[in-house]
Amino acid sequence: MIDAIYNWIDDRLALSKSGRHLLNKIFPDHWSFMIGEIALYSFIVLLISGVFLTLYFVPSGATVIYHGAYKPLDGTRVSDAYASTINITFAVRGGLFMRQLHHWAANIFVGSIVVHMLRVFFTGAFRRPREANWMIGATLLILAIFNGFLGYSIPDDLVSGTGIRIAFSILESIPFVGTNLAFFLFGGNYPGKDIIPRFFILHVLVLPLIILALLGAHLGMLVKHKHSQFKGRGARNDNVVGSPLWPNYAAKAGGFFFLTTGVTAILAALIQINPIWQYGPYVPYKVSYAVQPDWYMGWLDGALRVMPSWEIHLPGHMIPNVFFPGILLPGVTFTLIYLWPFIESKFITHDYAEHHLLDRPRDNPMRTAIGSAVFAFYFVLFGASSTDVLANYLQVSLNVVLWIFRISCIVVPIIVFPIAYKICLELQQVPEAGKRKRHMIIVRDDQGAYHSVDSEEYPGYIAPELAPVKIEDVDLAPEIEALNTSADRPDEGIYQIPRE
Amino acid sequence: MIEAVKQRIKIHFKALLKYDKAARLVIFALAPIFLVQLFVELPAAASVGAHLGRHHSQTTGQITQTAAAGGARTPQLQEGRTLFDENCSSCHGINAAGSKLAPGLRGLGAGVINLWVSSGWMPLANPGAEPARKPALFNSQQTNAISEYVASLSKGGIPILYPDLKGASVEEGFSIFALNCAPCHTITGAGDALSNGLYAPPLHGLTSTQVAEAVRSGPNNMPVFSTGVISKSQLKDLVAYVTKYIEHPDNPGGLGLGGVGPVAEGFIGLFIGVGLCLLVAFWIGDRTEKEEKEDSHSKGNKKSETGVKHA
Repeated sequence: MIDAIYNWIDDRLALSKSGRHLLNKIFPDHWSFMIGEIALYSFIVLLISGVFLTLYFVPSGATVIYHGAYKPLDGTRVSDAYASTINITFAVRGGLFMRQLHHWAANIFVGSIVVHMLRVFFTGAFRRPREANWMIGATLLILAIFNGFLGYSIPDDLVSGTGIRIAFSILESIPFVGTNLAFFLFGGNYPGKDIIPRFFILHVLVLPLIILALLGAHLGMLVKHKHSQFKGRGARNDNVVGSPLWPNYAAKAGGFFFLTTGVTAILAALIQINPIWQYGPYVPYKVSYAVQPDWYMGWLDGALRVMPSWEIHLPGHMIPNVFFPGILLPGVTFTLIYLWPFIESKFITHDYAEHHLLDRPRDNPMRTAIGSAVFAFYFVLFGASSTDVLANYLQVSLNVVLWIFRISCIVVPIIVFPIAYKICLELQQVPEAGKRKRHMIIVRDDQGAYHSVDSEEYPGYIAPELAPVKIEDVDLAPEIEALNTSADRPDEGIYQIPRE
Repeated sequence: MIEAVKQRIKIHFKALLKYDKAARLVIFALAPIFLVQLFVELPAAASVGAHLGRHHSQTTGQITQTAAAGGARTPQLQEGRTLFDENCSSCHGINAAGSKLAPGLRGLGAGVINLWVSSGWMPLANPGAEPARKPALFNSQQTNAISEYVASLSKGGIPILYPDLKGASVEEGFSIFALNCAPCHTITGAGDALSNGLYAPPLHGLTSTQVAEAVRSGPNNMPVFSTGVISKSQLKDLVAYVTKYIEHPDNPGGLGLGGVGPVAEGFIGLFIGVGLCLLVAFWIGDRTEKEEKEDSHSKGNKKSETGVKHA
């Protein structure tokens, strides 16, 4: 009966053919290939917890009088958005947990995208044929940062309100069109009543849909191109070596989903994030000192802090100081990120061939050095967003800290570049670097003399070219070959599949 | 023209490179820091000095008016006088008249003395040190004795304040706090560094008396909030909010992270959140040593008997 139903469906949808193809996708066994999955899973957590929050959140800037569990706000005039967020925190069962889960998941989402991106960059995984997927990934990062900022803003609390104010000013700073653009997006002058509903629709509908679509494209291209892989273990440019999706990798990935969710849930349960009840509602004439955005906006905040107060006076028009760190810097940053695959092949490697075998960072010292220097630059800017916290903690003058950051955002990349370059060159000279070492065992012989003996070689010490082995009794697609001889336990073996 | 300039730059640059590179690098790195210290720290110190000087001359002026007002008529004042002479007078002068080392204290009132002594700011760790929060040297009875003694030397100033928090409204207090205090002390009262070496201290571990006295007297670089800005009943509300909600913040979400906001949260999110996930990836992502060993062993074992290999 079940077979019949299954066959009926399968005749019409041809699921088993395409499904078989998908289930046979080979995943190389390397932990760094799973970083992107953290982002994927935390996005799922974001969707689920986000749906829960939309049930209770009121996206409105209208003024209401709050009456509820948090005493210091009782009877205060606040916006509907703020009051409903406070109610989610104190009155909705599990609401605070869901809020914190959502926020921590957002932090992990953007964080893992960045780490994933670093992995892809430093291993050269963006090279042909994956340039387009690299650009989709960069777009996903931008969208994730934007959506994080929007989500941070819509509770309408004192701290995030200051952030919206800054964003409004940054928009206004764009030459010629700034004021119009800012008024267009905010529906009039700041603060206005339209911000919250507009940000809300962008945050819960528009951006998530685009992210979902791009995520689909990102993964679709991943399947189409097949995974890239590191050298060794029989990996060549024309095959993929690893475990098939079903059952090996599915088990891994499923477990990984639950563990990622678990880590996020532990953070959500134990560590408080964004306690907006302590911040109070946003009132334009009130301000708290030392407000920072969430970390993924930190480099922009740091750039705003570090930027000297220079303005450019054109005839009849002034380009304000915030334009440079607020608009120009991210603009240049993401343009460079988008164009990097082409910049690299045109100016550095002069290599336009297809690459499925990954570089180790040392294999391309120029890329690694440039990447490290640029990353160091943004890391310094990121640190600069906490000038006040550092000055307070170290008990030094805030101005000194600021100047140290101003100097280091120029000096540190200049220092990092040659060091990274040199380390790469040195590592190239040492073929065994990064491989597992064999330890020395000291033994004493009958005469009482001591000898040192090398321990047994670790497996994988020399990655041999593995010979393919035929396996009859496993349900695998014919093009997959097993690569070791443990035919009695085929599920634990390694497999290869040719690239078309 | 441009070519000539380029040529010139090249020549100069080459000449620069001839010098000892390392020494230049160090000088380039350090010079801005010294410059900053010079231009930023010195004026700040000078302005603090000027402030103290002004204070000093004011109070010495009052001495002439109230020179005879001193004296210890009650046991409390006597105790205060003894403690003052032993612990304070070496800098603040006999009868709190001030000296070259420290300003006179006449006319400040008992409240100010009480605030500075009970917070551990006074006595200083050593003459010339910046006032810093440390455990108070005297118990509250001794502190009050010193305060009342100094206040008895001249009229004026703020008395020791004991705000009555009955019926105070924390709602109103929260609003006043956000308007008047949060711009420096931050909205969670965590305190922070201000420009030019000034700072707003954290508001944790304060008594209602200290909060009220600080608001009214404006210690260090804090402004004075007189009754025209914060009325008497508003002061009660404010003190109630600070002592209840800043001292004991409501953290139902777990660890409060010191109320410093997204900086701490970002570190946790990145290093614990993403970090743990990466460790998990590392744990389950790679083939384990055990698996590899098993693979290689099974390979090794079968090698001898194998005919299975398929070229």
